Amino acid sequence: MKKIKLLIITILCLLSVIFIYNDDFIYNKEIMKINIIKTTKEDTMENTLGLKEKYYYRQITGVITNGKNKGQIKTVEYEEAYSSVVTDKYKVGDKVFIKNKTIDGLKRDFYISILISIFLILIYAVGEYKGLLSVLSVILNMIIFYIGLDLYFRGINLLFIVVIESIIFSILSLFIAGGINKKTISAIISVFICTITSLLMLLIIVKLTNYKGINFNELSFLTVPPEDIVLPELLIGMMGAVMDVAITISSSISELIDKDKNISVKNLNKSAKEIGKDIMSTMSNVLFFTYLAAGLPIFVLAIRNGYSISNYISTNFSLELSRFLVGSIGIIMAIPITTFISIKIFKEVK
Amino acid sequence: MNTILIILLFLLMIYIDKKRGVKLFLSLFFNFLILMILFYFIAIGLNPIVCSLVGCLAMSYIILFFVNGENLKTKTSFKSIIIVLMILALLIYIMTTLSRVAGFGYESFEEINMFSYDVKIDFTNIAISLVLISLIGATVDASIAISSALFEVYENNKKLSKKELFISGMNIGKDILCTSVNTLLFAFLADFMTLVIWYYKGHYSFLDIINSKTFASEFIRIMFSISGCLLVIPITSLMTTKAITNLKEKQK
Repeated sequence: MKKIKLLIITILCLLSVIFIYNDDFIYNKEIMKINIIKTTKEDTMENTLGLKEKYYYRQITGVITNGKNKGQIKTVEYEEAYSSVVTDKYKVGDKVFIKNKTIDGLKRDFYISILISIFLILIYAVGEYKGLLSVLSVILNMIIFYIGLDLYFRGINLLFIVVIESIIFSILSLFIAGGINKKTISAIISVFICTITSLLMLLIIVKLTNYKGINFNELSFLTVPPEDIVLPELLIGMMGAVMDVAITISSSISELIDKDKNISVKNLNKSAKEIGKDIMSTMSNVLFFTYLAAGLPIFVLAIRNGYSISNYISTNFSLELSRFLVGSIGIIMAIPITTFISIKIFKEVK
Repeated sequence: MNTILIILLFLLMIYIDKKRGVKLFLSLFFNFLILMILFYFIAIGLNPIVCSLVGCLAMSYIILFFVNGENLKTKTSFKSIIIVLMILALLIYIMTTLSRVAGFGYESFEEINMFSYDVKIDFTNIAISLVLISLIGATVDASIAISSALFEVYENNKKLSKKELFISGMNIGKDILCTSVNTLLFAFLADFMTLVIWYYKGHYSFLDIINSKTFASEFIRIMFSISGCLLVIPITSLMTTKAITNLKEKQK
């Protein structure tokens, strides 16, 4: 049965990938399929450190695949750099967008759809029904996230929205993953309390330090004040991890009480701490790599421009670092909070 | 501000458990050093893929053997991680090169406009290392969770057959999956927040967004981070089952 379902999913994915490869007609922008690439000129430029960068001037010819010029052959100029910091390396057979007689990016929807397809097949093969459910909760969470931002642009305080959203996120994700029961309810209450505590802690720290040592370079392109965005962003970043810790601990406590109805509060606390020790290390590692890896491209660019490592860490890296730190603090705070709440709920309702 | 956060984190870690907390804090510190060295090697022009594979293994070595101790469980996890990294490196290489996500999209121009772009280093390979380094934490996490749980299952019931052990490994994996997906998703949503605001302000349509470079590169990062968790589940289950069967035979 599982094999048949897997086959159906694979076929559906394959069909949609084929459709998306040929979906040029839904775009307003002109799309060209590249047939010939000719190099007309090569050039070298030097930066202040003496690094010689090669530039290639390409003449790219292809067929227009959509719009009123469909079927016509067109030639455009494109300037390509060896490093591809801001340019791309196009190949024959690529579909690209055309704007003002030059190339305005690759048509990437095809590759995105391949990635989604592989992912869906893999998640069904490994996680079966549960895997697909987690995809559903991801999609729902994304929609809520987007609605929240929409409200922000209508003038509601983003911090307030995020706190409200944190409740909705945890209710949705935990109910979908675990069903409605005492375990999930105690986890949801813990997530909420944890969010509020972290928020208060952050507000105090921000008040004391006034963002000293944090560089908002990364957010500089926004036309909204960075202070508006930073705290909500930090809170959202730790939400997932806190939910994870909360459900793990409250499930284990309910398990412990199920096994031994007369277990003392002291013993429960001790076991919860034991479990907390293990999660603390793994979860903080997940956040560590997810956040800090993001700094790599700018790091390379900075070092290649003659900046020192310490210079880089204090400017561009500070925000990634605080994301990781706040996330980890959230995880660790969730351990005692969830332990306390779960014991209260399970012991009292009995 | 970060200094205060670091001190707070350290105190909280010690509060949960003294010995483990100090170990964890030290391991994060070491991993930070390795990460910086790894970044630096990539920046001076060594092959980014080789560097990041070696660096990832070094960092998972620290997480596994320094924090969790050297034993059969961690050894099995380490082997599984090597296999997963090799498979994923190939897939990531194909996907990132095909979808041309190297370098920076329009959305980051303001952030990088103080730098010169003539840096003579190919960002295609750097995009691959970026994805590889992002996924290692979650992969190690899932791997150690499964191998510890599976050894626990074996300790409780030594009569389980090879097939039964593998199936219980997969079942444990399914439980981890949901929570890992959540952790990763929200971490990336936080990263996405600024990007979404940018898209909103620039009146991007849905089609504009999915074709943009910045979105595609973030998306590839999320998808492969979760795929790392996904792939490591059957592979660790298989490797642990093998290790347990070997153990049984030795005991006979």
